[in-house]
Amino acid sequence: MTGWGRAVARLLALQAAWNYERMQGIGMGWAAEPLLRDLRATDPARHPAATVRSAEFFNGHPYLAGLALGAAARAEYDGATAEQVQRLRTALGGPLGALGDQFFWAGLLPALSGCAILGVTLGWPGLAVGGLLVAWNALRLATTGWALRTGLREGLGVGRAIRESWLTGAAQRIGRFAGLAVGAAIPIGGAWLLGGLTGTTGLTALAVAAVGVLLARIRPAWFTGLRYGLLLIAAVALLTITGILIGGRQA
Amino acid sequence: MSEPSLAALAGVAAWATVAGVDLVSVPQGLLSRPLVVGALAGCILGDPGAGLQVGLALELYALDVMPVGAARYPDYGAATAGATVAAAGLDGPWAIGPALALALALAWLGGLSLEYLRQSNARAVHRRAAALATGEPREIRSLQWRGLARDVLRSGALGVAAVAAGVALARLWPMTGWGGAAASTLTIGLVGAALSGAASGAIRNAGRGLRLRWLGLGAALGLLWAVLR
Repeated sequence: MTGWGRAVARLLALQAAWNYERMQGIGMGWAAEPLLRDLRATDPARHPAATVRSAEFFNGHPYLAGLALGAAARAEYDGATAEQVQRLRTALGGPLGALGDQFFWAGLLPALSGCAILGVTLGWPGLAVGGLLVAWNALRLATTGWALRTGLREGLGVGRAIRESWLTGAAQRIGRFAGLAVGAAIPIGGAWLLGGLTGTTGLTALAVAAVGVLLARIRPAWFTGLRYGLLLIAAVALLTITGILIGGRQA
Repeated sequence: MSEPSLAALAGVAAWATVAGVDLVSVPQGLLSRPLVVGALAGCILGDPGAGLQVGLALELYALDVMPVGAARYPDYGAATAGATVAAAGLDGPWAIGPALALALALAWLGGLSLEYLRQSNARAVHRRAAALATGEPREIRSLQWRGLARDVLRSGALGVAAVAAGVALARLWPMTGWGGAAASTLTIGLVGAALSGAASGAIRNAGRGLRLRWLGLGAALGLLWAVLR
């Protein structure tokens, strides 16, 4: 089977046609095209149905989708039934999503972002931003390549390969470091933005932050930093406009 | 600071477009992170300090976001670019406050544009369902490229709007007469909200296990550093 390099490149744009109907399905079908090209010659009767299956509903973590893509392509070449291929894709979506979210979004991203924030506050902005980009993309590309290779090698047995892989342990380890890095970055970043946290300015900002964290505990489904910020903007605008109106009347 | 040139503003809009496409389509390589967008936008405008300040504050907001599955999340890329334009154009120590206010509104609008894009893609897939069922790779290719083109348009429009809004804010804010009081209140409030967003996201991610203790240790060390420094 050829097309590994092209499939990896296409996996970088997996979510370009993301939609509520098939989620990543179209991107998966697009990335599968180079992998299934040989099937057109070896099994022309199977190729159209395999192409249709490759673009059906799929939703997993974009960086780990190669595991499902490769495994499904291998299964097509191995002559698995349509039900087996569909079951494989359905079974992999949820676990790959959970694993990828835990490792990348809840682990590696906050860890690197926290380090980058600390780097900027220490006066190394180029190193901080460059390091963030290089570290993330090196790991991401390596993971995408590994995922596709593993999927292509294991086929229907990919589940076992995922369980025994480095991913589960790595997610836990990076999670702890992420906690440490983000924990340190929050007060240090705040102090850098406000010129310290001990004066009136810093203490007021900390009080605003404490109220926000409390709101997040009380209404976790509603609270986001963005919503809280928009609410504060509305409050400041109202106070400012009211103050101007009162001032105008007094004058 | 002097008015940025049209070429610099066009450069920032182009950079915002790249960041928007990175967030949704390709290469999804963190080019859209506020710290990255702010750093480069600031360099393009000749005011890297403004870009880093805006970028760092919005990076704290972005730490609250988990871009999972079908969740709707704000687009901080173009928002950071627009806010950097505003912060670079405003004078005074509190310029970051109004710039952050603009960024949050833009990020919210960016989130709405993502929703619209996903619905447009779904309609396109629905329209071509019969063609897709034939198993012709050309149909998949066409949908993929059209999806990408829609995102380029979305990101471009958002980038241009953000830069225009940044220029407008930098010019209009001094005319409002709200001066430093409103700007400083916004700065303190919005940095506080950024800290609460990042902290809430970190607590949510940490759960109740060992990671929560590491988070607590990090926060204690960070506070100590911030106070002693």
